[in-house]
Amino acid sequence: MIRELTKTSLWLVLLLALLLPVSALAMENEDCLGCHNDSDMVGEELFINAQVFDHTVHAEMGCASCHDNVTEEHPDDGLTPAKAGCLDCHENINEDYAGSVHANNASCGDCHNPHQVRGLTEVSGHDLNQQCAVCHESADMVQQHDEWLPQANLHIAKLPCISCHTESDDYEIVLYIIQKESDKVLGDFELSALDDLQKLGGEKGAQGVIDLNGDDFISLTELRTFHRNPANEDLRLQATLMPSDVSHKIEILEDRYDCSYCHAAGPEAVQTSYVALPTAGGGYQRIDVEKGAVLDALYGTPDFYMMGATRNASMNIIGLLIILGGLVMPIGHGTLRFFTRKNRKH
Amino acid sequence: MAEKKRIYLQPKPVRIWHWLNALGIVTLIVSGAQIRFPEHVSVLGSDYKSVILLHNTAGFVVAISFSIWFFYYTFVARNMHKIYLPSRDDLQSGLLRQAKFYFLTYFLGWQNPHHPTPENKFNPMQKSAYLAIMFVLVPLVSLTGILLTNIEPLRNLILMIGGMKILVGMHFLLACSLCAFLFTHVYLATLGHTPLAYFKPMFNGWEEIEEHEDAVTSH
Ligand code: HEC
Ligand code: HEC
Ligand code: HEC
Ligand code: HEC
Ligand code: HEC
Ligand code: HEC
Ligand code: HEC
Repeated sequence: MIRELTKTSLWLVLLLALLLPVSALAMENEDCLGCHNDSDMVGEELFINAQVFDHTVHAEMGCASCHDNVTEEHPDDGLTPAKAGCLDCHENINEDYAGSVHANNASCGDCHNPHQVRGLTEVSGHDLNQQCAVCHESADMVQQHDEWLPQANLHIAKLPCISCHTESDDYEIVLYIIQKESDKVLGDFELSALDDLQKLGGEKGAQGVIDLNGDDFISLTELRTFHRNPANEDLRLQATLMPSDVSHKIEILEDRYDCSYCHAAGPEAVQTSYVALPTAGGGYQRIDVEKGAVLDALYGTPDFYMMGATRNASMNIIGLLIILGGLVMPIGHGTLRFFTRKNRKH
Repeated sequence: MAEKKRIYLQPKPVRIWHWLNALGIVTLIVSGAQIRFPEHVSVLGSDYKSVILLHNTAGFVVAISFSIWFFYYTFVARNMHKIYLPSRDDLQSGLLRQAKFYFLTYFLGWQNPHHPTPENKFNPMQKSAYLAIMFVLVPLVSLTGILLTNIEPLRNLILMIGGMKILVGMHFLLACSLCAFLFTHVYLATLGHTPLAYFKPMFNGWEEIEEHEDAVTSH
């Protein structure tokens, strides 16, 4: 619904652009990027990464819809190009945003680069936290959260800040492919880049590394095969818990403070998951994963376990059998003991 | 005629150690159950975080008490092998004899073939059981627990083991085995000449032994 509304504003903007004086339209995106995608020509400060920009929804609107007074003579016309305000088009954000602490502390531009915008489903958890790290340095955050959050380093590394600091109707598990940085035995891992995955996937491309039959759906079998394939020895899947909706009302939520929100939700809560693969534009694209994959005993998502929520049912049954085994002696022996008690009267 | 004889079986440090472990392990089992099944178990209240902290604390207490036990018997008393390692004799005939007692002659009213002395506290079955518990179960459950409380710093080690799921699976199943042991352990402790006979030495150190004439002939 909200998206629809903004789509309408996109058309309005395009219409407006058509009605603008010809001079402003004289330059197309490519013309602007001819200079602005070349840092030798305009310098680092004014550099716009065309490869990234072209994959954003803002690219469809064109440079001129936000910089509407750039003329033929630019940059020699002495005019400072105008820059549209985000809220002109994204009015719907304002309600949440204006009510949050950030209204007076962080502007849209502090968290977003207008030339690199992406939807929530197209960014990695790591990128999300980079937005916040500009002001809330990660090491400081680990230290502050450590005062009340066990294993704060793990939570801050694994969770987008917004999973705890914004409301969402639903949450989902997103899996990213990571790979060893070096050949060291205990070496660190990093997010796999598109090139690396393309090399591994061969003809099937990056997606072929994990979506073996290319049906845009990752079954539990495919996940297990991925993890057991010796060729993928240096690859793992790193998981994170992401909200399904974006809210700009960033706040402190009580049910995250008492941990119950994530850890005590029970296994029904975490059924939806995706694998996110890197795309050419530097973003990510999600592929659906079979429901309940994160609950698999061992090889579905071997590195993701959220206490209280992702326990495995077969494991529970084995555990129960072991405990019942411990009752054989008291119950079995105890019964016989009861019936033969007379033998031990001296 | 039955004659009462008392021997000092469990010195004070051993008793303290035993009850500390008992408290620790029961706490671990109850809090562990709540951590794994939060929507079903809420014995310790609804504050999940406190339950985790309690579990971690109890875990460290048991792990440290285990280490003290290990170092004491291996390096100070140096009689670990005598007390806990079944001897050749135990393996050849003792185990069978003890099993025969528990599962057959006990019901017929015979005496326990094993007579505890401070140097030879455990019967052959106890020795084997404690060997498995103290050298396999407890160390493994503690080590997996330590990894689980330091996931981020030890991440690469966890990956080498095979990942979080395998680690948690091991921790859980080992804990279930300890729980199973606990039931058996408490039950077997009631098999003295009176149900409480074996509990007493764990409180005051002294075991009362009934000396029957037929005690020696029973094996
Ligand atoms: C011939 C190369 C060239 C082309 C083509 C060009 N620019 Fe520029 N642009 C520049 C240079 C050089 C500057 C720096 C001007 C200055 O600092 O006075 C600049 C400055 C700007 C700025 C102002 C940045 C600031 O300092 O705030 C904007 C916005 C901008 N250009 C947008 C555009 C848009 C939109 C287009 C296409 C419609 C475009 N440019 C096409 C070279 C170019
Ligand atoms: C959605 C609106 C929007 C679109 C589309 C857009 N820009 Fe911008 N641009 C802005 C805003 C807002 C700023 C000011 C950013 C700031 O001050 O942090 C800006 C800043 C700039 C700057 C100054 C350097 C910088 O990064 O701050 C340049 C150069 C520029 N834009 C060029 C372009 C070119 C070239 C295109 C098309 C390829 C384009 N813009 C498309 C909104 C837009
Ligand atoms: C001229 C209108 C316009 C302006 C100005 C504008 N946007 Fe957008 N923006 C759009 C449209 C249209 C979309 C696509 C529909 C949607 O997702 O809402 C969009 C999408 C986005 C997205 C989501 C990207 C995605 O792939 O879903 C972000 C983030 C965003 N804009 C941020 C900004 C920021 C920050 C500014 C200010 C620097 C800004 N926009 C200014 C029109 C605009
Ligand atoms: C404190 C950081 C922060 C500030 C400030 C901020 N945003 Fe965002 N915004 C985010 C995050 C995080 C997301 C989700 C990830 C993404 O799409 O980049 C997001 C997503 C969006 C989206 C995409 C929504 C969707 O449904 O996909 C739009 C549009 C947007 N922001 C616009 C704005 C506008 C307009 C402002 C200024 C009024 C603003 N943002 C200020 C952090 C911020
Ligand atoms: C431009 C800098 C900036 C960025 C970027 C930024 N913040 Fe903030 N944030 C602040 C400032 C300043 C405060 C107010 C600090 C204070 O009052 O002590 C704040 C406060 C907060 C608070 C405390 C809220 C409260 O009610 O006390 C939270 C939570 C928060 N930010 C989360 C985030 C998250 C999550 C992101 C990334 C999506 C983010 N911030 C990005 C500057 C920023
Ligand atoms: C597990 C959930 C969780 C995660 C993940 C998380 N936070 Fe928080 N954060 C909280 C809670 C709950 C509080 C309130 C703590 C309190 O009341 O002492 C808080 C407090 C804060 C504060 C205010 C601190 C203060 O003392 O005023 C800031 C700023 C903040 N978080 C930013 C972040 C940023 C940035 C990230 C990501 C790097 C992040 N948080 C990740 C749950 C989380
Ligand atoms: C926003 C959801 C969220 C909240 C709130 C949260 N956690 Fe976590 N927790 C996670 C995730 C995700 C992991 C890491 C799972 C992984 O990567 O294997 C995790 C891991 C852990 C672990 C390590 C064991 C494990 O399950 O992997 C502990 C311990 C833990 N959390 C305790 C807490 C406590 C205590 C609180 C409350 C103070 C809390 N968490 C709040 C999501 C959350």
